Amino acid sequence: MELSVTQENFTRALGNVGRVASSKAGLPILSNILLRTDGNRLLIAATNLEIASTHLIGAKIVTPGSITVPARLISDFVSSLPKGQVDLKVKDNHLHITSSSYSSIINGVASDEFPELPTIDESSTIQYSVNTADFKQAVSQTIITSSNDSTRPVLTGVYWHSFEGNLYLAATDGYRLSERRLVETKSDVAAIIPTPTLQEVLRTLSDDTTEVDVLFDETQVRFRVGDSEITSRLIDGNYPDYRQLIPDTSETNITMATSDFVRITKIAGLFARDSGGSVTLTADQEKKTLSIHSIASELGENTSSADAEVSHDGQVTLNSRYLSEALAAIEGDMVSFRFSGKLSPCVLTTKSDDVNYKHIIMPLKS
Amino acid sequence: MQHGLWQSVLGEIELSVSHAAFTTWFKNTELIEQSDSSVTIAVPNIFAKRQFEVKFNSQIKAILEKNGVSPDEINYTVRTTGKRTTTRETTAPPEQSKTRAEELIAPRPTPSASTNNSGLNPRYSFANFIVGSSNDLAFTACQAVASTPGTKYNPLFLYGGVGLGKTHLMQAVGNEIIKKQPEARVLYISSETFVKEFLESIRFKKKGFSDKYRNVDVLIVDDMQFIAGKEKTQEEFFHTFNALHQSNKQIIISSDKPPKSIPTLTERLRSRFEWGMSIDIQMPDFETRCAIVETKASLSGVELGRDTIEYLANNIKTNVRELEGALNQLLAYAEMRGVAPDISTAEGLIGNVRHTRPQHVTAKQIIDKTARHFQIDTKEICSAKRDKHIVVPRQIAMYLLRSELHLSFPKIASELGRKDHTTAIHSVEKIEKAIKLDFLVREQVAEIREKLYA
Repeated sequence: MELSVTQENFTRALGNVGRVASSKAGLPILSNILLRTDGNRLLIAATNLEIASTHLIGAKIVTPGSITVPARLISDFVSSLPKGQVDLKVKDNHLHITSSSYSSIINGVASDEFPELPTIDESSTIQYSVNTADFKQAVSQTIITSSNDSTRPVLTGVYWHSFEGNLYLAATDGYRLSERRLVETKSDVAAIIPTPTLQEVLRTLSDDTTEVDVLFDETQVRFRVGDSEITSRLIDGNYPDYRQLIPDTSETNITMATSDFVRITKIAGLFARDSGGSVTLTADQEKKTLSIHSIASELGENTSSADAEVSHDGQVTLNSRYLSEALAAIEGDMVSFRFSGKLSPCVLTTKSDDVNYKHIIMPLKS
Repeated sequence: MQHGLWQSVLGEIELSVSHAAFTTWFKNTELIEQSDSSVTIAVPNIFAKRQFEVKFNSQIKAILEKNGVSPDEINYTVRTTGKRTTTRETTAPPEQSKTRAEELIAPRPTPSASTNNSGLNPRYSFANFIVGSSNDLAFTACQAVASTPGTKYNPLFLYGGVGLGKTHLMQAVGNEIIKKQPEARVLYISSETFVKEFLESIRFKKKGFSDKYRNVDVLIVDDMQFIAGKEKTQEEFFHTFNALHQSNKQIIISSDKPPKSIPTLTERLRSRFEWGMSIDIQMPDFETRCAIVETKASLSGVELGRDTIEYLANNIKTNVRELEGALNQLLAYAEMRGVAPDISTAEGLIGNVRHTRPQHVTAKQIIDKTARHFQIDTKEICSAKRDKHIVVPRQIAMYLLRSELHLSFPKIASELGRKDHTTAIHSVEKIEKAIKLDFLVREQVAEIREKLYA
């Protein structure tokens, strides 16, 4: 193999792909990155056997070929090089990298030991093209509520599914739940995508990509962002029917400025560290306020309130961290917050007629 | 066969690839289908599938051929739990997801949740509960509770010895309520489950424990005595109890002793248990036992002779469960041996059953046990002292001598160092009356009787 690439392209590709290569895996070759010529381009790939990440960059190919080299070393080396042309050459499982006045030889491993990259038959997949901004928002809004409890694998991912003509993303860790409507769909989809996969896709997104292609197969999913592709297994199992948990209506309906809500939640959270984040919210219909009260047995206590439209008096105790994260995920200047008594789920949405994101938090027992 | 074939393939491959590669790729693989033309192998994920298709296919094929199997093609399939993740056609949503959702977050009431997860056994109903004088009060109270849960007797506290039908009655209440109001959330648990789940919730910092118990309409807790001595659990139960009671949710509790007599039950729980209605279930009398035997036998489609029924009822007095066991044993024995389930068969068998419960109680044992129960000296009980704390035990001892051993009155009198048999007659009559009126006496007699046969 002999070829030339630009340092900018090469280091970006290595940066994207290299995160997937893991040194912890049982198979030593998984900590390597695969370099392989593909037509007149260079394919850079890594996998941890859950996710496979590939990136294609333009290259001037002299002779085709392939090799694998340790991910850390080549990424660090190439990122330190000055901008400009980088020449790669493979000789007896050694990769020679030269760039103006720098040259190094990295000991590699023959590429036939590298796991085969998963293929996907695109004609049999269900495909979506999603605007990058929407994608980014929807995924970040939902992954925060996915669980990391490995005893319930289905909850460790985000549930992508079709429902009444729309594609929804949903995730829950048992204490809170988020649901986001993404695009319209005519096909039937029900797939649980592991959270790490989605985090990886988010990191791969750059400002110059406008669309993300999502391809679902029976057992795998592929995200295509420009020249990058991330293919992942899906989590096997049935996702719980979470919709029945979202109340349609609530006793107490509150509308207020998001920034006010964020501020009083943050302040109350300071005094809730002792009590595991527990803060008590009181809605007062007469005074038109929502106040948050928290007590830190040794430090003191706090009550903050802000103006709000309140339909009915009510009180509920929540985890302030969950509340902050929920508020951060909700867009819009005005937020709608509703609950019924101390035990039923609370629903947070943006104040709008067309709500596409719902965040549900279970109250704490006070 | 298939298993063995795949094992030998694995064995051979293990030698030819590195250990890491072997555990990475070949762990959790399985040969799931084999025919003349094809072999299907299940692999754990898409990466393994691809790897097998490209890298290992020829090797596997060669080894299979060596083992006398030469398929035209080898298929690899990703193992799933049988669910298709994605389909192009519209299919009905998986049914089981409904019941799994409410374990997710505190459930909103759904009909399926109440019936599927109430923990009730639908077999127990009021219809198949046999009522006698010993349990008619409990039965009536339970029916009242079932017709208007949460209003009349709350909490309802049932107590009595083992195998007398506490569980049956409580479950019958639950089943009846569900039958009438399918949307009612009924939860039946044993206190041991409560303790266990509480401990887990602490240990693994699980949430939703209290929600599970506080979001029900009817909470039925069996064998409450096991909560005794577990302070934190009692406290949690206390809060659960208050939450439910305050919102007029029905609570039904059973125990082997009345709340008063459970040691190490905290005062506030005790007073709460005594708040509503506590009813004891007594040992069934002879007629009830006969009715039980007869009903159970006819449920199995067998008509027993009067003498057989009476024999069973006469010989197993204290425990309905045991009585049913003896009957089942008799019926099974009769069926297997092809003999009639008559009194002689019963006599042969019950001999075995009775071994567990020695009947040879002596007069001395009764007096000793009674004295010990009241913590007085055997000498005192047989003396002429007329202090109240000695007189009552003495009278109870006389009553027991009469009821358990059928001794004559003069004999009873002489056993307790009395000359006059009229004392014995008076005592026995007095206690017989007291048992009907005074629950404390009834309780004590039952406890001594239990100790006698323990």
